[in-house]
Amino acid sequence: MSIGDRIRPIDWRERSRGTVDYAADLAAPAHLHAAVLRSPHPYARLLELDVGRAERMPGVRAVLTHRDFPPDALYVHRGGPLSDRPPLARDVVRNVGQEIVAVAADTREQAEAACRAVRVRYRPLRAPLTIAAALAPGARALHVRTTGERNVAVRWTADWGDVAAGRAAAVHTVEGSFVYPSVSHAVMEPNTTLAAWDAEREVLELWTSTQSPWFIVKEVAHLLGLSREQVICREVAVGGGFGAKSKISEHEVLAAALARKAGTPVLLALTREEEFAANKPRHRFETHLRTSADADGRLRLFEADIRVDNGAYNHMGSSVMRVGVITLGSMYRPDGVSFDARLVDTATQAGGQFRGYGTPQVSLAVESQVDELAERLGIDPIELRLRNLGAEWTTTLCGYEVTTNRLGACLEAVRDGLDWNGRRADRTPGRGLGVAVGMHGSGAYAYEFANRADAAVDVYENGGVRVRFGGADAGTGQRTILAQVAAHELGVDPADVDVLSMDGEQTPFDLGAWSSRGTHMTGSSVGQAARELAEKLKDLAREKLGPGDVVLAGGHAVRGEGSVSLGDLVRLSPDSRDGVLSHETSYVLEGTEMLTPDRDTANLSPTYAFAAHGAEVQVDRRTGKVTVLDYVAAHDVGQAINPTLVEGQITGGAAMGIGAALGEEIVREGGRVVNSAYVNYALPRSADLPRIRPVIVGGSDPAGPYGAKSVGEMSIIPPGAAIVNAIYDAVGVRIRELPATPDKILAALAEQEGRVRRFGLWRRPDRWWVALVRWAYPRGLHHVLHRWGTGFGPGVGPRPDEADAAVPAEELVVADTVSAATAALAAGGVVVGGGTDVLTEARLHPSRPSRLVSVAELTELRVLRWRDDGGVEIGAAVTLAELATELAASAPAVAAAVRTIASPQIRNAATVGGNLVQEKRCWFFRNGFPCYKRNGATSPCYALLGDHRFQHAAVGAHRCQAVTPSDLATVLLAYDAEVVIAGTAGRRTVSLADFYTGPGETVLGPTDVVVRLCVPAAALRRRGAFEKLALYTGDFSTASVALTAAIDDEGGWTDVRLVLGAVAPTPWRLTTVERAVDGTVPRVAELRRLVDAELDRHGHPLPGNVWKLDAVAGLAETAAERLLTTEGVLR
Amino acid sequence: MPESTALRVNGAQVTVTTEPRTSLARVLREQLRLTSVKLACERGECGACTVLIDGAPRMSCITPARLVRRDVVTAEGLGEEAHDLQAAFADHGAFQCGFCTSGQLVHAAAILREELPAGVELEPFVRQRLSGNICRCTGYNGLVDAVCAVAEERR
Repeated sequence: MSIGDRIRPIDWRERSRGTVDYAADLAAPAHLHAAVLRSPHPYARLLELDVGRAERMPGVRAVLTHRDFPPDALYVHRGGPLSDRPPLARDVVRNVGQEIVAVAADTREQAEAACRAVRVRYRPLRAPLTIAAALAPGARALHVRTTGERNVAVRWTADWGDVAAGRAAAVHTVEGSFVYPSVSHAVMEPNTTLAAWDAEREVLELWTSTQSPWFIVKEVAHLLGLSREQVICREVAVGGGFGAKSKISEHEVLAAALARKAGTPVLLALTREEEFAANKPRHRFETHLRTSADADGRLRLFEADIRVDNGAYNHMGSSVMRVGVITLGSMYRPDGVSFDARLVDTATQAGGQFRGYGTPQVSLAVESQVDELAERLGIDPIELRLRNLGAEWTTTLCGYEVTTNRLGACLEAVRDGLDWNGRRADRTPGRGLGVAVGMHGSGAYAYEFANRADAAVDVYENGGVRVRFGGADAGTGQRTILAQVAAHELGVDPADVDVLSMDGEQTPFDLGAWSSRGTHMTGSSVGQAARELAEKLKDLAREKLGPGDVVLAGGHAVRGEGSVSLGDLVRLSPDSRDGVLSHETSYVLEGTEMLTPDRDTANLSPTYAFAAHGAEVQVDRRTGKVTVLDYVAAHDVGQAINPTLVEGQITGGAAMGIGAALGEEIVREGGRVVNSAYVNYALPRSADLPRIRPVIVGGSDPAGPYGAKSVGEMSIIPPGAAIVNAIYDAVGVRIRELPATPDKILAALAEQEGRVRRFGLWRRPDRWWVALVRWAYPRGLHHVLHRWGTGFGPGVGPRPDEADAAVPAEELVVADTVSAATAALAAGGVVVGGGTDVLTEARLHPSRPSRLVSVAELTELRVLRWRDDGGVEIGAAVTLAELATELAASAPAVAAAVRTIASPQIRNAATVGGNLVQEKRCWFFRNGFPCYKRNGATSPCYALLGDHRFQHAAVGAHRCQAVTPSDLATVLLAYDAEVVIAGTAGRRTVSLADFYTGPGETVLGPTDVVVRLCVPAAALRRRGAFEKLALYTGDFSTASVALTAAIDDEGGWTDVRLVLGAVAPTPWRLTTVERAVDGTVPRVAELRRLVDAELDRHGHPLPGNVWKLDAVAGLAETAAERLLTTEGVLR
Repeated sequence: MPESTALRVNGAQVTVTTEPRTSLARVLREQLRLTSVKLACERGECGACTVLIDGAPRMSCITPARLVRRDVVTAEGLGEEAHDLQAAFADHGAFQCGFCTSGQLVHAAAILREELPAGVELEPFVRQRLSGNICRCTGYNGLVDAVCAVAEERR
C-alpha cells in the first residue's frame, strides 16, 4: 500500500545534491553553443538581412535564417488559420525579442558576437503595444485575421443559461474593470535544448526542458520536414515548468535546425533576460464585469466584456481565453452568463501557457465582485459563497459535469483555520481578512488524443519494476506518484520502482504534463498497465502455487502459505524478453468533450478540483506595503496520492499567486521589457511570505485514479482575489488591477484621506526648464529623441563594426598598494571591489575597458579600525557582512540598513566602497535602453514616459530621473561620514554629503580609489534608525529614511540628521526639519508635518511617483517612532 | 588573456584556465564538471550558483574566478554534512524541480554551522537568510521547515 503515503521523491538523493542532469549539464554529446539575434523593434519590416560577416566570424559553425526553412513554414500551435508564427522572422518582426537569426559557434560568446555582426535593416512601423492601442481606430494591423476585426485574433460571444431571468431577478449589481497583468513564469531553469543530428541515420535527438515531449516532436518534425519517428526526445531533468514548457517554444526548433546544419550537436540555453523578455508569459486580461445578485444573496447574473492581450502571435491564446471565460459559468450557479471576449493582437511578446490558464485572471474579477456584493448585502463573504455553491453531480452552465465538490468543506476549513469569525470580531487596525474560491479541471480535452494516455510497466528478473511514460515531470513529482501507483498495484516497495519518462524510443504515447492532467491521465494509464500486468503475474503464480486467490505483496505473489518472487515469475513467463516482462496499455477516457471553436460549452475534464484560500494581511498605511500574515489554502483534491507532494503543489501555487497579487508584472516601455531580471521582478523571496498553511480536505472522487483529482493549477487561482479582498477589509481600498503594489494602495489611501500635495512650481523658477521638458516629452520630444536622437550615440553594447575588430586583450590587475591601483587606473581601467557587478555589466554591455583593477586585497582597504576617540575608520574593501557585524552594537541602525541590502551571498562579497560608488539602478539604464546616461545627450530619458513608480526621483531630478541606489550612503550620511579618496595626486577627504554629484555619480576621477570611510565618535553616540520600503526582501530602496539624534534624559533631541534615500538624485538631508526639531521633544505628527512641508516645497515628482513622497514621509514617521521608543534602538 | 589559475575546490587543489572575466561558476561547471552549480540568472540575483568560499556563501556566477583565494565548496563537496539535511529536504517537500536545490543546500549547510544569534527566533532567521535563494516551486515552506528541523535536531 503506497497510495496516500508521504514517500520521498524517487530520486531525492541525487536531486537534492544537484547531481541529476538538466539539459545544460550534459557533457555528452560534445556540443556547440547557440545564440539568437532578436528584434529590437516591436513592429518593423525587414528590408535587408545579411549574415555574410557573421558566417566568417571566429568559431562560427552554422548561421540560421528564415531561408533555411520553407517559405511558408509556420508553427502548428493550435492549427488552421490560427497558425501564424514562422520559426525565424521573414519580412516582418512583430515584437521586441522575436527571433531573426540563430548562430551556433564553439563558444557562447562567439555565437553572441556573430549575432551582433549580422546586418539587418529595419523600417519601423507604428506598433500597437496595448489592447487599447490595438483596438483604437486607425491602429495598424499586425495580422490578417479571420474575425474581420482589426487586431482581433479570436472573438467569442455567448449567452449561457437564462440571461433574461438573471436580469429580472437582479436586485444588487456591482460593476468594474479588473486587470490581471502579464507575469513571468520565472522558471529557475531557463528554457534549454541540446540537439544532435545523426546524418547517417537521419535521426534527430533532443534533450529539452519540456513538460511535453509529444508537442516538441510534433512541431520540430513539422518545421524540419522530418517524420515524427525521426525526432527522438530523451529523458532529462527539467527545472520547473508552470506551463512555460508545456508546449513548443522556439529554442527547440532552432537548436534542432542548427544541429542539422552544423552537423554537430548544439546547445541553446536562454539567458535570464531572454526568459523574461522573449518567452511567453501569462496573458494579460482586462475584464469588465457586472455581477448581479438577488436580495437573498443569490448570484443571478454575470455579464462580462473580456479583452485578452494575445501578444504578437497566437500560440495558445485562443484556448487560454476560452478557459478563462469558462470561469463565469463553472463554479457558481447563476441564472445566466453573458460575455463578449476578444483575443487582441499587440506587438509584444506572445502570451503562452501559464498555470491556471486564464482562470486566475477572470477569477480575480468574479471573486472581487462576490465580496463587493457581500458587503452591499451585509453578508459575511464566506457565508455568501456557501449560499452560492454548485451542487455535486450536476452540469454547470459552461457544460462541466461536476462529480464530487467539497468546496463547502474548503470554505469551512478556511473559516476555522484563520479563526475567521474571531479575528473579524476583534479587529486590529490595518489588518484584514480575505477569501476567494476557485475551480479547475483535472486534464482538459483540448487536443485530439488528450483523452488518451498510454503507459508501460516492466518487471525484471531481480524483482525491480520500471514504469515508462511519454510525458515529463518538470518538478511536480509525477514520477514519484507513478512509482507509488505501480508499487501499489504490484505489491512492491516504491523505492524498488524506477521511472523512465520522455524517451521517444522507449516510452509510450502521452501528451505530457499540462492542464493538470498528469496525475489523472498517467495515474490512470500506469495504474491500468500495472493492474493488467499484476493479473498476468497472478496467473503465472497460480501455475506455480495452484489455483485460488493470489495477492502481490512484498515483491512476491502470495497464495496462502506459498509464495513466489516476482523475479521468478518473470523467469517463468513465456512473454519475458531478455529477463524483462513488460506490459503496455492504453487508457482512454470516456465522457469528456473536446474543446473546439464551434461549440460554446463542453465537459472538458473527467473531474474538477476546488479550493478556498483565506488570507490575513497587514497594510501599512504609511507606505502602502502589504504583508501577508497568515494564509490558509484548503483544497478538494480527492484522495491525495502523496500528501507531501500535494501540499507542495498547494503552497507553491499559492506563493506564486501571492507574488502575482502583490508584486509581479512584466513592465514594458516601447514594447520592450524593462524588468528582464530577477532583481527587477518582485517575486516572493522566503522572508516575504508567511507560512502558507495547506489543508487537504479529505475525500475521494470516483472519476479519478485512486480517488484523486488535480491540484497543480488549482492553487494559483484564488490568491489574487483573496489578497485584494483582504486589503479591502483592512483599509477599505479596492484594488482592481494587480499587482497591489504600494503605489496603488498609497495613492488610493491618499484619496481616501483627502491628502493632496501642492508643489507650487510656479514660484520655483529653477524647475521651469525641467517642467517644460517634461511637458514636451509626451508631445513629440520623446519620440524624436528615441527615434532619431539615439542614432547619434555610441549605442548600447558594441557596435556591429567592433564585433570582429581586434579587441585588446583583457587584463586583471590585482593591486597590492593603493598607489599601484591608482597607477594601474591611470592607464585606463575600472576598479573591482567585491566583484558583484563587473561580470554582469560585462556580459550585458560588452563594449568595455580591457583592464580590471582589483582592490579587494589591499590590506589598507580591508581594515576596520576603532579610533581612540570612539570614531571608526572603515576600509573601502571591508565587506558589507563584516560591516554589519562590526557595527551591530555601536551603530545598530547602520547594521540594520546593511542587512536590508541584497542577499547574504552578495553581502559576503560586496564592499563598502563598491556599495557607495555603484552605478544607478534605473531599470532603463541597466537593462539595455539607449538612454541619455548610456548613450549621450541626444538620447531620451526613458523614465519620463516609462514606468517610474518605484526607482526614480520625485525631488530635484533633471535630465536623468534615477537616484543613488546605495542604502549605505543614506544611512552613513546621517552619521556624518567622510570619504578618504586616493588619486594620482595624493589623498583627500570629502564629506559624504559632497561625495555625490548625481544619481550614482560621485566626485571620483578616473584614477581615484575610495580608501576608507570615517564616522566620527560624536555621530556614533547618537541614537539612530533606518527605515526602508522595498518591493521584496533584498531589493533596492523604493524609498528610505535614516534618522539620528542625540536624545537627552528628558527626551529632547539635538544634533539631528534626517536623510531621505531614493527620492532625490542623491541622498537628501532635510536640514530645515533638522533645525526645526533641534532642541525640542518632537512629536511624531509634528515631524511628519515638517517633512511633508519640505517635500511639498521641493518635490517635483513624475506623474507615477507622487506617492513616493507620501511613502518616504511615512517612513520618517516610523523612524521617529523608533527613536522615541527605546525598542530596537540601543543608542 | 587566458591564464592558469590555482583553486582549491572541495578539498582538492586544481588548476584551471581563466580569462579575467571568467566566472567561478563557469569554471566549476565547464572545467571541473561540478554541475550542481546552476546558472539561472548569471547576475548574482537568484542563488542557484551558491557555493562556499572560505565557508561563506557566495554567488559564484558573478565572482571572477581569478580573484578566488580561499577554499571553494560546492554541493558535491559537502559530504556527510549534507546527509541529514538532504533527508529533511525530501521529507519536508523542500524541493520540486530541484534546480535551485543545490544552492539552497549549500546555503543551508552554512546557516547550520552558525550559532543562532541571541534573541532571534529560528524560523524568521532562516527565512531571512535564505532570501537570496529564489525557489519558484515550493513557496519555501518545505525549505524553511527542513532547515529548522535539522537545526533543532543538531542542537
